Amino acid sequence: MKDVFILGIESSCDETSCSIVKNGNEEIATVISSQIDIHKKYGGVVPEIASREHVKNITIVIEECLNEANMKMEDIDAIAVTYGPGLIGSLLIGLEAAKTLAHIYQKPLIPVHHIAGHIYANNLVKDMKFPLLALVISGGHTELVYMPEHLKFEKLGGTLDDAVGECYDKVARVIGIPYPGGPEIDRMAHLGNNSYNLPLPLNDDSYNFSFSGLKSAVINLNHNEEQKGHIVNKMDLATSFQHVVVEIISKKVLKAIKDKDIKYFIAAGGVAANRGIREALSNICENAKIEYTFPAIKYCTDNAAMIAAAGYYYYINGKISSLVINAKSSDTLK
Amino acid sequence: MKYLYIDTCSSYLYTGLVENDKLLSERKIKFDHDLSTMALSTIIDMMEEKNIAPNDVDKIILVNGPGSFTGCRIGVTIAKTYAWSLKVPISVISSLEAMALTSDEYDYHVPILDARRDYVFAGIYDSQNNCILKDQYIKKNVLETAINNLSDNFVYITNDSIELNGDVKKYDPDILAIVLKFKERENINPHTIDANYLKLTEAEENLNDKEC
Repeated sequence: MKDVFILGIESSCDETSCSIVKNGNEEIATVISSQIDIHKKYGGVVPEIASREHVKNITIVIEECLNEANMKMEDIDAIAVTYGPGLIGSLLIGLEAAKTLAHIYQKPLIPVHHIAGHIYANNLVKDMKFPLLALVISGGHTELVYMPEHLKFEKLGGTLDDAVGECYDKVARVIGIPYPGGPEIDRMAHLGNNSYNLPLPLNDDSYNFSFSGLKSAVINLNHNEEQKGHIVNKMDLATSFQHVVVEIISKKVLKAIKDKDIKYFIAAGGVAANRGIREALSNICENAKIEYTFPAIKYCTDNAAMIAAAGYYYYINGKISSLVINAKSSDTLK
Repeated sequence: MKYLYIDTCSSYLYTGLVENDKLLSERKIKFDHDLSTMALSTIIDMMEEKNIAPNDVDKIILVNGPGSFTGCRIGVTIAKTYAWSLKVPISVISSLEAMALTSDEYDYHVPILDARRDYVFAGIYDSQNNCILKDQYIKKNVLETAINNLSDNFVYITNDSIELNGDVKKYDPDILAIVLKFKERENINPHTIDANYLKLTEAEENLNDKEC
């Protein structure tokens, strides 16, 4: 069979990225322009600034990717692009660039759901097998997704309030770690003791999560200690916090694995880079004797390689869009 | 020489095709929230109707702002992607200098766009389209004082509903005249093309205030 090369474009939040992936599982080249240093001084992503940066970067990123791959637009079979969910102003830049290229080079346009992209980052590690359970954990998402086959997504549950990554960043702020504090909490969590008593959030039989209560518990604990004139041990607080997060995620994942008779597990999203969570999930899968993968650390956060990988499956299944497609800030994965 | 004109900075999409000194085709469409669905397809439709392939265009003239931030970005992204990928020369003009070309019955032309909270994007141009007061984000009453000090023979040009004291002309671009006026403008590297916002984001303004 002829090789299929998909050019992916991703601009849903604060990374402008372009990638070329062969046959949905082999990365040829990926370029990511991150805006993290720009947003750092605002304590989080500022949507209008993100949109402005995407406009400046978009053609440069695409050109660099083609150069790195030593390919021309003519060599590409189809263009995959994130249409949503995400920041609308940011999504539009990648989408308009993709539409323009699709028209100029007469290539099929493949719209890709951002979360499908995160899931398919795992296909770049190893060809995914089904039925599969995906745990999507990031600054914007916390979802358990069941996939009986390629491109069939059944959401089992998700967060009822804050996303887990959002909770990490807020807890980091409380204990004085600059944005984005998640990775630093993970590092500290390996150095302290689980000495603070925090509640296990939404400890029920559903597949749902809730992190706003846990966030408040950390804020209150910190506040109460300060009132008493005590200094919070940041290492211990990070350790205690991560312990609770890992425990509740593990519990819900294990339940889904059993209920759905899962044979293959994957994690995806920025928080899938978290070492403590990876260790716990690896143990669960090994004990349950099921196969599992995590994306490469660099492809846990937003990137176009995952969009091109997912795009391949949409492409071979004929999921091609007209050029009048719009971006969607929110959209259910289906 | 074939020129493609693109302006998505206001609540209208203005696009046209000019060959030498003749207008081949144009589209002027008001949109609400569907600019991103229709901008590119309208441009394609206009070109295909005249059997003009993307490669046939010799130069793109892009209006890059000021105006609606999202609107500006859509036109800019389409135009810079087009120009970069096919190596088509491209130059940019401000939405206000394009608007200033609309009328020649007055000594001074004041293109003006609503920027909300008593602010406007505006400039002052003379009848030869020379810029007298450069395009800026300005409080409406400050602009009014400036224009009243200058002359009483002026006209505001706008499509926005702004309360204005003086003659107001609705903006309906003469795309042929605009292209002919600006066709020699210097080409720029498509990678460096950006929207001309004329205004920092609120987050940047707040940060600057804090640092002052």
